[in-house]
Amino acid sequence: MNAPLKPDAFRVAAEIAPLAEPVIRFERVGKVFAGRRGQKPVTALEGIDLDVPRGAIVGVIGRSGAGKSTLIRLVNGLERASSGRILIEGDDVTDLTEAGWRTRRRSTGMIFQHFNLLSSRTVFDNVALPLEIDGTPKSEIAARVEKLLDLVGLADKRERYPAELSGGQKQRVGIARALATDPKVLLCDEATSALDPETTQSILALLKQVNRELGVTILLITHEIPVIKEICDRVAVIEGGRIVEEGETFEVFTRPQHPTTARFVETVTGVELPAHLAGRLRETPLAGGSAVLRVTFSGANATAPVISRLGSTIGIDVNILAGRIDAIAGKPFGSLLVSVPSEEPGLGAVLGALKGLELKAEVIGHVA
Amino acid sequence: MSPELIRLIIQATGDTLLMVAIAAGLGTLLGLPLGVFLATSKRGELFAAPAVNAILGTLVNATRSTPFIILVVAIIPFTRLIAGTSIGTTAATVPLTVAATPFIARLIEGAIREVDQGLVEAARSMGATPVQIVCKVLVPEALPAITLGLTLALVSLIGFSAMVGAVGGGGLGDLGIRYGYQRFMPEVMAAVVAVLIVLVQAVQSLGDRLARHLNKRLRHA
Repeated sequence: MNAPLKPDAFRVAAEIAPLAEPVIRFERVGKVFAGRRGQKPVTALEGIDLDVPRGAIVGVIGRSGAGKSTLIRLVNGLERASSGRILIEGDDVTDLTEAGWRTRRRSTGMIFQHFNLLSSRTVFDNVALPLEIDGTPKSEIAARVEKLLDLVGLADKRERYPAELSGGQKQRVGIARALATDPKVLLCDEATSALDPETTQSILALLKQVNRELGVTILLITHEIPVIKEICDRVAVIEGGRIVEEGETFEVFTRPQHPTTARFVETVTGVELPAHLAGRLRETPLAGGSAVLRVTFSGANATAPVISRLGSTIGIDVNILAGRIDAIAGKPFGSLLVSVPSEEPGLGAVLGALKGLELKAEVIGHVA
Repeated sequence: MSPELIRLIIQATGDTLLMVAIAAGLGTLLGLPLGVFLATSKRGELFAAPAVNAILGTLVNATRSTPFIILVVAIIPFTRLIAGTSIGTTAATVPLTVAATPFIARLIEGAIREVDQGLVEAARSMGATPVQIVCKVLVPEALPAITLGLTLALVSLIGFSAMVGAVGGGGLGDLGIRYGYQRFMPEVMAAVVAVLIVLVQAVQSLGDRLARHLNKRLRHA
């Protein structure tokens, strides 16, 4: 039904235009919920600083209860900030009235984990809803909805009801609906969390297409690290209501600074030593044994035939124990565990050669 | 049974249908907005007005907790004011409407509260006004449940309408009491009961079918 998700060519930093005014800017934003009867107020967010650059896909990842749902709802005024400032397209929206928010919401699309489609309306009428709310003339609505249904690949389902659709199709309707008023910003609230991995891929591909072809800036929240890996240019890691790490996805994934980030990214970048070797790992070299190295490839070097080159240039056999090569935000990244003879010149020569290739290599132990 | 009696039964059935239709129509006209308001005016809701909600809620409960036969008698002055008399079919529609309105309001409140809050949030995210949320989301989504509720209300009203016969209202109840009971004509009583059963069955099965037709949630791919 859909083209498979292809890793894009490099996105250069200039394309994301970090110097241009961000579409959404959080400045020291906090949110405190009043406590229910007799209970203490709950701090959901604290000191949030975050920029969403124009045209970017920015992901916020965190466990449930980390505050990410609250964060995304601050962008369209479904929740109001308790402190700090929120700027959208340079306008301070922190103290906007409900009527002011209503106007703004019409230029911000939102999709949801459970789709939130009206069961009483057909696919066509669901997509038409935001246009009806906006007071668009009927004749224009029809043309616009047809176009959106084509975009999401559901033109043949226009007279169906949501109960007749699969989860992936429902989210496609959700996306078409969110784009109906031609918004500049699309908010995705756990949009793929209720979908199976294959359907998730196709929805992510569609979101990427929407981002690239329509120039829609996307802010998404998720607890699924593959979502970030696949489509986000930038990522913010949120924990306990605070952003603990933020940056370009590739940078954050390959050089995580915060333990929470490390735990998240390890599931996609980490490589484990096979169990039979892990148990025999020693700290000191053993006579006639091998050293185990972790070699990390990133960017351009990830695709170079490094291992075979080592064999041919320095004549040392490198044994691959485990490895993974993947694309993170469209850039290749790999991690290999290899073993080389501990005795000189083996280890030293390999380390020297890897250093020459500007690859990161670390000795993690020795085996007999 | 004499043709005269058959004519009476037909006449009484017509009166009952008329009373029920008027009371149900007016009750829905008044009960729908009241029910929607009750469902959307607690703290933090679309039309948040907790105090008004509490007052209306109490009023609705008070009306509903008064036995219908007592209500009929209790509001006779009001009935006279509206209908000019307290006896007959027209007059009987007044207490019927007064009883139907809070009943229907509570049924509609329940139906509206069953609508997934996620849909309200989605509509808000599109910039919908509270009125648009009610008209385009809450009522259409609750329509199957509202239909079932109104069916229940109609069935109850048919029962209530038989009771107004006791205080001089017209209709099947009046016929059953005067001929079947007071003149001891069991065949009239049997006919009245039979007609009531048929009416209730018809209303219930029509309501069920309509609700099923309106419910798009049960379809499958």
